[in-house]
Amino acid sequence: MMIMIRAIVRPEKADAVLAALMDAGFPAVTKYSVAGRGKQRGIKIGEVTYDEIPKTMLMSVIQEEDKDFVINTIMNTARSGTKGAFGDGKIFISDVECAYTISSGVKEGATEVAA
Amino acid sequence: MKEVIAIVRMNMMNQTKKALTDAGVDAFFAHEANGRGVGFVNTQILAGAEDGYEEAASLLGEKGKLYPKRVVTIVVEDDFVDTVVDSIISVNKTGKPGDGKIFILPIKDAVRVRTGEAGTKSIV
Repeated sequence: MMIMIRAIVRPEKADAVLAALMDAGFPAVTKYSVAGRGKQRGIKIGEVTYDEIPKTMLMSVIQEEDKDFVINTIMNTARSGTKGAFGDGKIFISDVECAYTISSGVKEGATEVAA
Repeated sequence: MKEVIAIVRMNMMNQTKKALTDAGVDAFFAHEANGRGVGFVNTQILAGAEDGYEEAASLLGEKGKLYPKRVVTIVVEDDFVDTVVDSIISVNKTGKPGDGKIFILPIKDAVRVRTGEAGTKSIV
C-alpha cells in the first residue's frame, strides 16, 4: 500500500526539508504555496490579526513501510529550534490506491485496488 | 468515489483539459506546483557521491532542482477512474522522464455547497 504525505511547513524551511528528503533517498516531492491558519487562529500583532499565513505544502507518495522514517525526517528538519514553535506546520497522511507513471504507463499498487 | 490527482507538464494543460472534456469530465480543479521525481536523479551517481567519490558529487550539479508542473485534481465515481486515467495518460505520454504521475485516493464523501447535495449527486 502506498500513502500520500502532505506536509505543511514554513516556507523558509521548505528547502531544508527538500534537501533532507533527497539525502534520505526520497527525491520525488511536489511543492506548492498555500495560505492558512492553525489552532492559534493566526498571529495577532497589536491590533492586526493575520489569519492567512503563507506556508508551503510538500506532497509525496511513498510506500507505507517508509512512513515513520519520512515523517521523522520532515519533522526533525521542519521544527524550529529543538523544542519547536507554533506555526511549524502539520503532516497529513492519506491512502493512495494506485499510482501511474505517465511516461511509461506503469501502474503501481494495482493489487490493492482489486481487494 | 475517488480523487484522481495528476501532476502534468505545464505545456500539456490545454491538451489535458480538452482530453478530460472529451472523456466526459467537465469539473476539475488545478493549481501550479513545483516538483521533482525519481527520474531526474541518476541513482548510480548519487550512490557514488554518498560513498565519498568527489567526481560523483560534482556530477550531481543542481541537486534536487524543482521543475514547474501543474496539478489537476478530479473527483469521480469509482467506475469512471480508468477512463480518466487513460485519457490523461494518452495525451501526456511522451515517454521521457518528467511526464508526471497520477495518484488515486479514496474519498469518503462530497457535498455541493450551492444545494447541499451529498454523494454521487454532488459530482455529476
